Parts: sequence; structure tokens; C-alpha cells
Amino acid sequence: MFGIFMESFVILKLYTGLKLLLLLSALAWVYLLVTEKNKSIRILLVYAPIIVVALFLFPVSRKGFVAMGLDGETYYRILWTIPLGIIFVYGICRLFERHRRIGLIVGAALTVLCGSYVYKGTYISKAENLYHIPNTVVKICDLIGAKDDHSRVSAVMPSELIHFVRQYDASINMPYGREMLVNAWDYYNAVYEAMEKPEVVDMEELLKATREEYCQYIILSKERQTKQNPTDCGLTLLDEIDGYLIYEDPVTMEIVNGWRDYYEE
Amino acid sequence: MIVIKILGLIFWLAAVPFCMGLNFMPLFKERFKSAGAVFAAGYILFFVALEIVGIPVVLFTVYHGFTTFVRWFTPIILALSVTGVLVMLWEKKRGQVLFPEGFGRLREASPEEKFMMVLFLILVGFQMYMSFTRASFDGDDAYYGVQAVIAQQMDALYRVNPYTGRSAPLDVRHALALFPVWEAYIGRMCGIHATIVAHSIAPFILIPLTYVLYYQIGKVLLDGKERLLPVFMILIALWQLFGNISIYTTETFFLTRTWQGKSFAGNFVIPAVLWIFLCLFASKGNADEILIAPKGMKNKENWSKWPEHKGIGEKGFWILLACLNLAGGASSSLAILLSCMMTVGLGLLFAIRERRFGILIKTGFSCVPGGIYVLLYLSLTHGIFVP
Repeated sequence: MFGIFMESFVILKLYTGLKLLLLLSALAWVYLLVTEKNKSIRILLVYAPIIVVALFLFPVSRKGFVAMGLDGETYYRILWTIPLGIIFVYGICRLFERHRRIGLIVGAALTVLCGSYVYKGTYISKAENLYHIPNTVVKICDLIGAKDDHSRVSAVMPSELIHFVRQYDASINMPYGREMLVNAWDYYNAVYEAMEKPEVVDMEELLKATREEYCQYIILSKERQTKQNPTDCGLTLLDEIDGYLIYEDPVTMEIVNGWRDYYEE
Repeated sequence: MIVIKILGLIFWLAAVPFCMGLNFMPLFKERFKSAGAVFAAGYILFFVALEIVGIPVVLFTVYHGFTTFVRWFTPIILALSVTGVLVMLWEKKRGQVLFPEGFGRLREASPEEKFMMVLFLILVGFQMYMSFTRASFDGDDAYYGVQAVIAQQMDALYRVNPYTGRSAPLDVRHALALFPVWEAYIGRMCGIHATIVAHSIAPFILIPLTYVLYYQIGKVLLDGKERLLPVFMILIALWQLFGNISIYTTETFFLTRTWQGKSFAGNFVIPAVLWIFLCLFASKGNADEILIAPKGMKNKENWSKWPEHKGIGEKGFWILLACLNLAGGASSSLAILLSCMMTVGLGLLFAIRERRFGILIKTGFSCVPGGIYVLLYLSLTHGIFVP
């Protein structure tokens, strides 16, 4: 039980990021605890939050959460029910009730100094288009994507493009997707093993795997080293887009076209 | 073409939910009747409709699920919008002031308050600008975002593996959370790719919607001290901007994963529970309640002879809470659990404080739709019910 408590405590620590913003809410909470007269607001902003924290840390809660079939990794979302922002802002409004300009300046300064700017993250970049996915992906998908509404194509993509391909065009299937990039999930996929695991790609191994999955296209970064020249292995270089080489596999293409013709007939 | 698409977006994202929210007008206390409350209530009703129509379609339609969904959902929400407008006309006919507050507060505000509200609007505008011009990478988009694209392009709902594109059995873990289907729907109705809807358009409605809710919360919290409301809103907007203390906070989700159901859960569903409880219990106004005229009565002065007219408005918020406890399911299955948990916990606390057992009964009733959803979720995930 103590172990579960500690796990929950670590989650709480991670949630707060050990930043001072939490301290601001805590101070405002103490202020409201002492001064708030409206009993309903006391229940919502003073008693309820502390009960939530207590329940969050209580080991049986976590056990119950997981027993319900919910993902243990999302346990932190119970903390969402604590309105940290409202507690702080309402506390400031109450504290500086008669000096709202000073209250605004103090509140704003504390928030900026103790918080962390949301757009400074490494995952934020300038959008290249309305889809908010790299233009490179759009160009590659436009080149290889299915030419009519009823057909699909299959392509193996470098890991850095995998997340975006099907967000743009769901008619492009992939032998593996994001599930292979999450280490914790630990899946096996033969194409992934041949494409991503070795430092130097063995094209014959890769082709063997992609042909079993009927992959018509193989997209490789220009930087990627290969044991054999892909064109020598029978692939056709369609184009080079922003440092990515787009290969077509004529063997698989013929098989897939054969199926299509059969179904069309 | 672009103009038509923009008009379509305004219609489906603003006009329809607003008109749907008008259905709640007769149920709200006078002092809570505002355009913002109607808009928030409209979105709650919108997502209730989404869940009620969408869940059976997802569970029982293997082929052309999205087309089937569109065929059922569209007339239902349009009908609810029309009834909303009719309710508004009926309210007007019986002499009710639709939005008693109107722009009165803005007109009465001092220049300083007006300046502060402009500052707040600049902060919100900045957040919307950033959401439009900045791409925020999140791995979950490869799942949720693609589900919306699959709905649009493959006409399938939760029956294709979003990572690979292979056919798959129904994904029961996510099949009840239809937020991606909402994005696909808006895209279909306006002729826009679902990913564009999610990444470039949804923030333009979801960010203001959250602030509308915070504005309602602020109004109740600062009842009688409305001059502090602009300060409250500016600080809330700054808190959202600087609340990125970890990747787990609602503030981080709000501005970097705005279009995902989880963000909607943390930034709309949960604050909405708080708002409803504030309206139910933290309001001190009684005088306004006697302003509500009974059915057919046009003269409010006569009505003021009936001071014990309490309870109107309370029922409305309990109904809205019940709706919210189902609407939350659109964002994520956990959202329903959280909103029901909050409802039960807060209901219990208020029942103890007010020594009124009736609060517990109302709390129980308001959790019924959410409870049914949870039972369905558990029976699906534990293989008890296999559609």
C-alpha cells in the first residue's frame, strides 16, 4: 500500500512539475480557507480540492481506478478536477478587492514568473499548412496516394513521418504505424525490424518483409545507409522530395494491380 | 467557395449550438440567462445528441457508419435548433426578457474595465492566432486525428486500425468517445478535411467556449463585485498561457492539444460541472426569482406577488448537469467518470451542508445518463456485450 501511495505521490509531483505555480494556488487556497465566507464557494474551492488530493493519494483509489479497466497512466487526470487556476485567480481577486489594478499587476507578474510559457515547448513549430503537418508529407502522399476513391496503397515510411501520413490521407496504409514507436508497447513487426532496427538497411531483407505485406512504396531518407542500392534490388526511384527517396516496388505493384483488375472485372 | 465554407462553419459551430442552447432558456434562473450560458448549454446539448445518435451507429453499423450517422444526426440537431428558436419566441411572447443582462454591463463599465476587457480579448485573440499559426506535435493525433479522417474518407467508425489502415474489430475502448466524429462531421458539412478542422478550425470555437464558461464562473464567484470580472478573466487567460508546468496539466492540453477530446474534458466538461454547482448553490439572489412569470402571464408586476416561486432555474441546472454527465462521454470515457465523480462528491458535500436529502436524489438522477454510459463501457470492454 505504501508503494502505491508513493507512486501516486510521484504522479502528483510530476503533475505539478515542481514549479512555483502550484505554490501560488496553495497560498491562494490557504487565503480562501481563512477568509472565504460564502459557504458554497468554500465547498467548491476549499474543501473539495483537498478531498480530491487526499483521495488521489489514497492507495485504494488508484487500485479501484485500475480495477475499473482504466489506463493507470491516466490516473493523473483525477487532478484535473482541482481548479488550480480558479483558486489562484479568485484568491487574488478577493485579496486585492479594493485595489484591482495592483491585484492585476501582482497576479499577472506572479503567473508569468512562476509559470511556464505554453508555446516554448520543443513540440511547437511554425505551421507549414492548414493541416499542421509537414509539407514534405503532403507532397509524398500526393505522389503515392490512391488515384481513385475505391483503391488504397501501402507504403513503408521513415519513423519521423509515420504520425502524419494517415492524418492527411487515410487511403495510404502502412505495415506499421505509431504503435511501433512507443517503446512501452513493445510490439513486433517484421518490416519495422528490417527498416528501423539496423543502422545500415539490408534492402533484400526489407524487400522480403515489405513484399509479404504487399507494400507498393518504400520511402527512405537520403541519409539512410543501405547495404545494396535499392534500384539494383528491383525498386524504381519515382522521385526525391525534400531529402526523401520515393521508391516503387514493381513486383508488388503488379500483384496489387492484378487484384484490382480482378475485382473490377 | 471559401466564403461559403466560412459561413458553413459559423452555422454549424456557432449558430446551431446556440439555437440548441435556447431550449434551456425557460429552465434557467433569470440572473443566469445570458448569451454565454445559452452557448455553453447548447454545446452540452449538441454533444448529448452526438452521443445518443452516434453510439448506436458506431456499435451496430459496420459499413458506411459515418454516412448513416450524418443522416440521423443532421435532422436531429436541426430540429433541436428550431425548437430552441421556437422556445425563444415563446419566451418573448410571454413577456420574458431574453438576456436581461444584454450589453448592459459593458455599457455601464468604466473606461478602465473596458480597457481590461480589451486586454483580455487580446490575450484570447493571441491564443487563437497561435493555435492557427503554430503546429503542436502530439503522438495521439496519429490515433484520434486519423479516426476523424477515416470517418470522412473511408466512411467507417472505429473499425479501421488508424495506425495501419487495416480493417479491425470495433475498438471498444474508444468507440464511445465520439469527439473525432464531431470533427469529421463539421468537416463533412462544410467540405473541409477533418485534420484541418481539428488543427486549424476547432481551436477557434473551443478556446472561446472555455472562456465563455470561465466568464460564467467568474460572474457567479464575483457576484456583486462585477468590476473585478475583467481582472478575473485576464488572470485566467494568463494562467492558461503560463500553466504549462508539466505535460499533464489542463492548461497544457488546452493550448497544445485543443482539438483532442481529453482537452475538451479538462477544459470544458470539468469546469462546466463547477459552473453548474456554483449556479445551483453559490448564488445569493432570490429577488430575481420572483421576476419569472408563470406560464401565460405577461405582467411581471402581478407575478411579484408570488415570492415563494423558488425552484425554477434549479431544475434547469440539474437537467443540464445530467446532460453534461452524458455529453462528457464524447470527449473521453474517463471524462464521464470524472464528471460523475465530481457530481456525486459535490452533491454529497452540499447535501450535508444544507441538510437536504433531496440534493442527493437529484445528484443521483443527474448521474443516470453517465451511469448508463459507464455500464455500457464496462460491458463492452469486459466482453459482456459484444455488438
